[in-house]
Amino acid sequence: MDQSTLVNLSGLDRADLPRILSALPFGVAVLDAERRTLFLNRALESLTGFSTADVAGVFCRHVLRGSFCLHGCPCLPQGGDCAQGACSESREGTLINRHRRKIPVRLTSLPILDRAGNFLCTLDVLEDLSALKDMETRLSVSASPGQMVGRCAVMEHLLRILPAVAQSDSPVLLTGESGTGKDLLAEALHRASPRARESFVRVNATPMPEALLDAELFGQAEGPGGVPRPGKFQLAQNGTLYLSEIADMPLTQQARLLRLLDEKAVLPAGGDRPMQLNVRVVAATGRDPEEMIQAGLLREDLFHRLNAVRLHLPPLRERGEDVGFLLAHYLKIFAAKFRKQVLGFSGEAQALLSAYDFPGNVRELRNMVEYAVMVCAGDMVLPEHLPLPLRFPQACAPRDAAVTPAAQNKPSGAPKPARKKA
Amino acid sequence: MGKKIMVTLYRDEVAPRFDLCSEVLLVTVDATGHEVRRQDLVLAHSSADDLCDLVLDREVSTVITGGIEEEHYHYLRWKRVEVIDGVAGLAGEALALYLRGELEPGAILFPRLGHD
Repeated sequence: MDQSTLVNLSGLDRADLPRILSALPFGVAVLDAERRTLFLNRALESLTGFSTADVAGVFCRHVLRGSFCLHGCPCLPQGGDCAQGACSESREGTLINRHRRKIPVRLTSLPILDRAGNFLCTLDVLEDLSALKDMETRLSVSASPGQMVGRCAVMEHLLRILPAVAQSDSPVLLTGESGTGKDLLAEALHRASPRARESFVRVNATPMPEALLDAELFGQAEGPGGVPRPGKFQLAQNGTLYLSEIADMPLTQQARLLRLLDEKAVLPAGGDRPMQLNVRVVAATGRDPEEMIQAGLLREDLFHRLNAVRLHLPPLRERGEDVGFLLAHYLKIFAAKFRKQVLGFSGEAQALLSAYDFPGNVRELRNMVEYAVMVCAGDMVLPEHLPLPLRFPQACAPRDAAVTPAAQNKPSGAPKPARKKA
Repeated sequence: MGKKIMVTLYRDEVAPRFDLCSEVLLVTVDATGHEVRRQDLVLAHSSADDLCDLVLDREVSTVITGGIEEEHYHYLRWKRVEVIDGVAGLAGEALALYLRGELEPGAILFPRLGHD
């Protein structure tokens, strides 16, 4: 079927083009050879705020007012190339509409030629990218290690190497006290990795019968009703499996985990055929791994496998200037959350916070700021807005000691509460 | 008392965008509206913020421009600068109209199809 037959059959030669263009869901401008506006469809009228009647005959740069109009107009710099159909191209930029709104758009400029190849007009197609850009911003915020913040040298180094570590498939061992952000770091690693679109499965090997844990982790060849039941490892296929406390995992399961790392395969409970898996393993522990090996809680061969990349999160007391930074950071977050005009901490409150050593690390600091902002009625956090253990450490110490055996070994009268062994 | 008028330029036209303009025309007029000084300034780079600083620095009282973002428009208005925006046309013609008191925001000075 040749082109003229197609046109005759479809009736394109008799088509009411302005009406068709107006029904399109994206903006279309029809321009003459000098890029003067001939027609704007309804979507573009709404995007720019101009009607065709307002701007017919006006140069498109004064109608679209795009960032691409002044620097790198798709057609003008190339001179008359449009007539030969050489300048059909897309580019992204912004326009400022009649209502002074800047809108991200994608412009595609299409020269329209007749059958003899003579230039008729140019169609400028504009897509409003606002929704896409908003989504991109939201995704990049959630995909970035955004929730991991820190300005001290150790944290800066950690955040700097994070993207490179995320790109590899090597197992990662995260160490650090409770509350330092191991879970956040594991998620940030996943989100910055090529596996970000796949699952991030967190495994907490809580004490349970070994057979049950086995099925929970590695699945069952025959589950209820004879149907295979996937375990956490299968659920993390192509994604990341995060073991939140490797020391809690019984040695039998550690051996099977080692096999997974070696052979990239697991054997479901009750099965006889190994299942191939593509999973990245990130494991964390709040304890010293070398001590755990000596205590027989962690297999040495597994440790060496996981230790391919080791990232250590320092406790808050070793993060120096980060305390002030994190206080301001969380104050801003919770002031916005609770819709309060809390601007900062008074000198006394700041002194109390600075003298405290935050045994619960960033998690404790964040909870304290949340509480302080919640109870603060004015624009400054005062000492009375801070939690009691921080204001009266000695008065709270005996109660703490009762629940934290380690605290009993603390020298009497020590101003700081006992550090909880994670 | 005289005043300063700034026209953002793109070639010989009013620049379609304030934030992308890299050249401005500064015209000083006396109390009777007669032009006493004309200055063409080429900017190192296009930036709406820098242009706002220039407006305040040069004590410009009126800005004639094309599209401008709301934020910059309101900033200049807050600084008591008159902003005649959305102007599409030749810079000279826009300035002449302004000096005659006939330039309105959103004025399209280019010939239009279907308009006399």
